[in-house]
Amino acid sequence: MKNLLDRLRGVERDALKEPRADDAPYYEPQGNEIMLFEAAYRRRLPVMLKGPTGCGKTRFLEYMAHRLSRPLITVACHEDLTSSDLVGRFLLDGDATVWQDGPLTRAVKAGAICYLDEIVEARTDSTVVIHPLTDHRRCLPLEKRGLEIEAHEDFMLVISYNPGYQTVLKDLKPSTKQRFIAIVFDYPDEAIECKVVQTESGLGDSALVARIVAAGRKARALKDHGLQEAASTRALVYAASMVAAGVSPIDACRSAMVDPLTDDRELAEAMLEIARAHLSGS
Amino acid sequence: MDSAEVEFAIAQRLAVLAQLSFVAHRDVVATLPAIRSFGADSAIKWLATAEALFSHDREAGKAFIRGSKEAARAFRGVEPWCAHAQCFTAWRGSGSAVQAFMDALPAAAAVGPAVDSWARIGLDWCARHLDSGRAYFETPVGTLLGAGDVNDLRQLLAPAIELCSERGLALGYYLPGALRVRMLAGTASVGPWARQGGDIMKSGRNRGELFFALASEESRAALLEHLPGFQPLAHERLLQILLAVWFGQSFDLKQSDWMPGSGRPFIETDGRSLFLPAVLSSREEALVAVWHAAGHLAFGTFEQKAIKELFQAAGLMHPPLDPDQAISWRPLFLPYGEDQARFEVLFDLCEDLRVDALIHRCIPGYLQQLQTFSDGSVAANAVPYRRFVRHAWHGLADPGVRDQRLAPLWAPEARPIDAFLVARVLYASGEFPVLAANECSDAYPPAHGPNAARPIYPRGFRETGPARAANPDVGAEKRDGQSEASRRPPKETQGSDPDLEIPPEDTAGAGGRIGVGLPQPARLTGRRRTRTFLASGRAYPEWDYRERRFRARWAYVQERALDERDPGEAARLVAMHRQTLRRLKRAIEAQKPRRLAPRKRQLDGEDLDLAATVDFVALRRAGLAPRPEIYCQRLPRRRDLAVLLLADLSTSIMERLPDGARIVDRIRAALLLFAESLEEIGDPYAIAGFASKYRDQVSYYPIKEFDETLDARARAVIGGLSGRLATRMGAAIRHALARFDQASTSRRLLLLLSDGRPADYDDGGDPRYLEEDTRVAIKECTDRGVHPFCITLDPRGGDYLKRIFGDGHYLVIGRLSDLPAELPRIYLRLRAA
Repeated sequence: MKNLLDRLRGVERDALKEPRADDAPYYEPQGNEIMLFEAAYRRRLPVMLKGPTGCGKTRFLEYMAHRLSRPLITVACHEDLTSSDLVGRFLLDGDATVWQDGPLTRAVKAGAICYLDEIVEARTDSTVVIHPLTDHRRCLPLEKRGLEIEAHEDFMLVISYNPGYQTVLKDLKPSTKQRFIAIVFDYPDEAIECKVVQTESGLGDSALVARIVAAGRKARALKDHGLQEAASTRALVYAASMVAAGVSPIDACRSAMVDPLTDDRELAEAMLEIARAHLSGS
Repeated sequence: MDSAEVEFAIAQRLAVLAQLSFVAHRDVVATLPAIRSFGADSAIKWLATAEALFSHDREAGKAFIRGSKEAARAFRGVEPWCAHAQCFTAWRGSGSAVQAFMDALPAAAAVGPAVDSWARIGLDWCARHLDSGRAYFETPVGTLLGAGDVNDLRQLLAPAIELCSERGLALGYYLPGALRVRMLAGTASVGPWARQGGDIMKSGRNRGELFFALASEESRAALLEHLPGFQPLAHERLLQILLAVWFGQSFDLKQSDWMPGSGRPFIETDGRSLFLPAVLSSREEALVAVWHAAGHLAFGTFEQKAIKELFQAAGLMHPPLDPDQAISWRPLFLPYGEDQARFEVLFDLCEDLRVDALIHRCIPGYLQQLQTFSDGSVAANAVPYRRFVRHAWHGLADPGVRDQRLAPLWAPEARPIDAFLVARVLYASGEFPVLAANECSDAYPPAHGPNAARPIYPRGFRETGPARAANPDVGAEKRDGQSEASRRPPKETQGSDPDLEIPPEDTAGAGGRIGVGLPQPARLTGRRRTRTFLASGRAYPEWDYRERRFRARWAYVQERALDERDPGEAARLVAMHRQTLRRLKRAIEAQKPRRLAPRKRQLDGEDLDLAATVDFVALRRAGLAPRPEIYCQRLPRRRDLAVLLLADLSTSIMERLPDGARIVDRIRAALLLFAESLEEIGDPYAIAGFASKYRDQVSYYPIKEFDETLDARARAVIGGLSGRLATRMGAAIRHALARFDQASTSRRLLLLLSDGRPADYDDGGDPRYLEEDTRVAIKECTDRGVHPFCITLDPRGGDYLKRIFGDGHYLVIGRLSDLPAELPRIYLRLRAA
């Protein structure tokens, strides 16, 4: 199976990812999020995943798509994303024009799970497009073609949203927010985080993993001291992966958890001191 | 030369001397036999020198002749000192210098071949300034050379040569201080220290001389700055950050009055602040020492209840508080009479071990780090104490080798009283020798020290166990109780606002930061001495969390103009931060293209919008009738963000920072830079300040309105800002909200610049009251479409701002000196988001 996967890497694939028959992506449940998501899916309610960077929102969704055997289509939102980027547009083809579906339209037609990542980044006009999809109507108007598509029975809309410092001036409109079932994520419990980091990084020494995780969790307390983003679970996985690749634990923490997060010399020194306290002697 | 000729030569010299002076002749005759014993040539040479010196200067000659006997004995001859002495004939009035030279010779003989260089350096000094040369020779050779060689000495004196020639500073002023600096801080530190002194000398001779004599405060500070080792307070922010991480609370760090040469540097505490010495030996040891000292505060060594228990155990009444409400532990040790030092050290060590055990639980690697520090050389009597602690640490890490007597200390719920009882057992065991006064400090292991070096302000009793408080995740709420006691001491009201001149006794309320005390129920109504209620200005409601309702028309806001203006200060600040401002403008420039980005999809404009055109053509081909919005416009986009900066002008901003500047200086600079940046950006902005005294006198000081330009008046007002009174935040926010009506933008930002929690004289000491009201005021902001964001200078800000502003809507500025540059940058960041 792995050989086949390796062959598939580096090959263009459709953005609309059909669920594969093999193992599900690794995901460690933190609470009742699977139950909530499944319930929302049963009633086809749109879902909003809230939580800090790198805590596992996207992985969770991949896992759920696999678990529910639905194709997944992910759109990373940015500030120039217009509604036609989502819905679709006419393209010139010789003398004629061709309509090309946008990712949202494709998902609506195919009954996929459409994941709008970091939705606050998108312009307000594009977020309004999703309104009819998120209530009882469940339809997508294609204004330019004068059409309206009723969503596939299995279609589901998921957005992610990271409340924080960057979004003081940018926030979802309350009218948009309240159309979603919210599932709140945070960095997992220490035990779960250890398990996640160990599994993802493939670092065998579980005591060392526990120390890396403990150091990372301590460093999260620095958030009030000018650190804009705390060391995420992903950063911890990276740190452990670096160790697994032969880097010394302290250097690994520095390269994965300290230097990427801050340019502030003293803050970096403090984080390194925390790493040293936890990891020295290993 | 045969003997007859020699005798003749000597007799001739003596005859000349006899002619010159009776005294000279007498002294020479008395000394000659001692010189002659080293040979006739020596005698002739010596006589020639004596004659030359005497005829040049009587005093010089006399001093030479009288010192010669000793010198000849020490050098076993007249070389090389006779030749050196001869040089003194070059200067007039060199008598006292020769005297000093001759006096120094016997000791100088001991340094061997270096003596020639030593003398030459001295003679060079005589050539520069005779008195300096004398001062040089008056300084014992051993002291001059110290542990180093002649090069070391040259390096020591190098700065003095320049100081002497350029500033006319005599060596006598320079040398004692420089020698002391070299002794304490090493030769390398002398240069920078002297350079600083030279600069000070420029501003005043007297001040400079005091500096070099190490007699003034600034020279002591300069010396401390140049001491080798780790300077903990230069890394205050690092320490604060890590303390917050390890203990989940912040501590007040101050510099202690320790001076080099006054014994081992220890971290001291008075129960409120940690007093750090200027220098600790190494970074590692300093960090661990700070954790340990903070551990005492965090784990209840100085809790009121614990101290009470101690005194009860010792059969004493609770100690009387001194007028400053501080207590001393001395009475506990008095019963041990002569031997009290021994018990005191044992009690300190036991209490240290108890705290070490608790810190070990919350700082991984703490114990291992402790064990790596070497003891160095200690007094023999102190060795058993050191060994005892090492063994105890070892036992802490490895339960197999534990001393059973110490068992009570290892329990997580152990209290100082347990340490006291264990210390009694150890004292009785007789294992520990009696300590002399000068040996006590040696008994403490590295990174540890006496616990009761200062009178203690007892800390408020804390309900929660230490293990839980160390966890930052659950610490947020409980920390309040603790910070109550550690809150800043009361400050005097400046009363610098002429509008609000009030007798000082009226301002001694118990509100929040203003006063310290046990929390009491807020008293919002009730008698207020001589005050009459002034219902002027605009009334605003205030939220009372206990009754869960608004108090209608409760706070009264008056708008006042700030009369103090200081255009000079404003100009100075702008000049001082010119570099920062230039950098900021570049950053703004970098953001500008975004603002000036062409507006796309317009009905008309200078350029075609290609993407829109293709869309348009495609739609036309598809048979639709799209709107012909295919142009770009190069006009700037409508400015869509307005910001109002509301600055807290309460008394606390007048506080001085460790570097001598006041907080208000930073705030002035920050506001100026903010205004200059906003001018550059072009967004509409307003600046205002606020302060309060009771609910009926909340002052709102407009500094610049949205529709005004940043003129000389506004700059001068910022330059003259000062702190006054208290911080009734909610009312000021509500008042500021109305200002946004002037701004016709879609996005609105209220930036609050504060340095502490909301508090007022009449909040009854209940910090929660105004905090809740502010929270509600912030909610009113968001309801009105204004985004609030708070920038605080209070390192403890995280405790309450999260509750008031919500996650991600506040920022704690760790380093105050960063504020001027940081404030506009934060705005840029918020704006770009």
